Amino acid sequence: MAFKNIICPVCGASCDDIQVELRGSKIVTKNACKMGNAKFWEIFSPHRIREPLLKESGSFCTALWDEAVDRAAMILVKAKRPLIFMGSETSCEAMQVGLHLAEFLGAIADSNSTVCHGPTAMGIQEAGRVGATAGQSKSRSDLVVYWGSNPLESMPRHMSRYGVYPRGYWTRRGRFDRTVITVDPRKSITARNSDLHIQLKPNTDYELLSALLTLLHGKKPHPSVEKVTGVSISEMEEMLERMLGCNFGAIYVGLGIASSFGKHRNAEAALNLVKELNNHTKFVIGALRGHCNVAGFNQIASYLYGYPFGLDFARGYPRYNPGEYTAVDVLREQDVDAALIVSADLVSHFPAACARYLAELPVACIDIAPCPTTMISQVVLPGVIDAMECDGTFYRLDDVPVYFQPFTGSPFSFTDSNEDTMKQIFQKVKEMKR
Amino acid sequence: MEAMLNLFVSTRGSGKMMKEFLLNTGSTIEEGRLAKGGSKLTEDYTQECAVCEMNPGDFQDLGSPQKVKITSRDGRYSVAAYAHPEESIQSGQVFMPRAIWSNVVVDPETFSTGSPLYKGSPVQIEPTKEDVLSAEELVLKLYVRS
Repeated sequence: MAFKNIICPVCGASCDDIQVELRGSKIVTKNACKMGNAKFWEIFSPHRIREPLLKESGSFCTALWDEAVDRAAMILVKAKRPLIFMGSETSCEAMQVGLHLAEFLGAIADSNSTVCHGPTAMGIQEAGRVGATAGQSKSRSDLVVYWGSNPLESMPRHMSRYGVYPRGYWTRRGRFDRTVITVDPRKSITARNSDLHIQLKPNTDYELLSALLTLLHGKKPHPSVEKVTGVSISEMEEMLERMLGCNFGAIYVGLGIASSFGKHRNAEAALNLVKELNNHTKFVIGALRGHCNVAGFNQIASYLYGYPFGLDFARGYPRYNPGEYTAVDVLREQDVDAALIVSADLVSHFPAACARYLAELPVACIDIAPCPTTMISQVVLPGVIDAMECDGTFYRLDDVPVYFQPFTGSPFSFTDSNEDTMKQIFQKVKEMKR
Repeated sequence: MEAMLNLFVSTRGSGKMMKEFLLNTGSTIEEGRLAKGGSKLTEDYTQECAVCEMNPGDFQDLGSPQKVKITSRDGRYSVAAYAHPEESIQSGQVFMPRAIWSNVVVDPETFSTGSPLYKGSPVQIEPTKEDVLSAEELVLKLYVRS
């Protein structure tokens, strides 16, 4: 049986043109990238978690669904300050339940969006953002800057669907009508395929952005900036000349901006540069969001509780203070005593101090495959794959909501979706708290 | 930050060679394929991600080792990985795919943003004969207390 226009639930591109053919217990996909393809194969993979697991005396044994949901709820109810961590490869609907659960428990709620582009979101709070949808950029942009990002490996179809190669209304010749600039300390595959590669030193994005702003103001930056950034002023001038010469420029910032020294101040500087460039030509900026629906948590948390990530409900109302209520910080400072982790592998992707403390806590997780986080959990609930096995909503990298419909159903009789699982846990928590 | 960038100093002495680098972690397409395909506990994932790419000059300075031990700035955590010379990387920097191996040594300081220093963390690197552990072995060794 064949299906068209399926949404891919892997990265922030949320590609909506995947074709899927189900042949018994085999799946054939078209248009998906390597990462997407691997995820679609997970439907039938032999290592998929298909039964609830409970850890007894250090080893896992299969359990009844109700028993596992009870145990997960018990972990949360017994905790004084639990962490509800909503991963990004699940729907906004599941995230909404997670946020309400955190409010009910007085817990901390956070997500991948914090360690992904949390600093970029903070930069936007400081400076505002001149943005565009991916479609606008596709139709109009004749200059693309990948700053601290390597889309050919992190979002493999960005260049071909939105950024560089597609023929837009005003960019009829696709790649031939576009200039590509990459700013990266590494000569990545994206940098090698660019017209200009600015190879700055790590942790000097802020200095380079400031120098570009200085040049834009018609002044010469201090010569020491060459030694600090590793980029000559003539290279900066060439880059700026190309940027000013375009009709519609789009900057896509990656974790090179958000994750290196300077953090939200790097993002703020980039956003200010774009604002000022708009005095000369049209320019927009957006984040390359590596995980699917990582933008969704920011949207849902913002419209429900006013803050985009790292929410603390300990006082019964939401508080926001990045660095204090954010997941990495509360784990590093050993400031939580239990965790519910949904569709995320914190043990792999958080620094060692955080992972080590997490392994000491009672943890329940929802996941589809074995990983380091399932290894340290006391309760493992089988995950349902969004966009393949259930419907829901993702937010794409440009903050456009995308409604997805499944091409097959949940493989489980006990849950229809991760949203359903979260609702069952929430219901059980309410019963236990009565 | 200038001081941090100039930390690329050879500390040869008493037969031990250790250098300070800035660690850049990031995606690779194969890492993505394996992670999204649920293969984090496989040998393929270890071969793809337990890797430390460095400039060929730095690689030679370290004695062209097959494996290196990467240690976090505070010296609390270290991890062994396969060393690969790579022309695309500038001297004084190393690249590791984003995965459990690199995150063992990533600086957990978030500078009040919630996001650790996945890019630009100072690390110390030395040749090693230690085994490169799988993700499962690493969790059991570093995180799970018996």
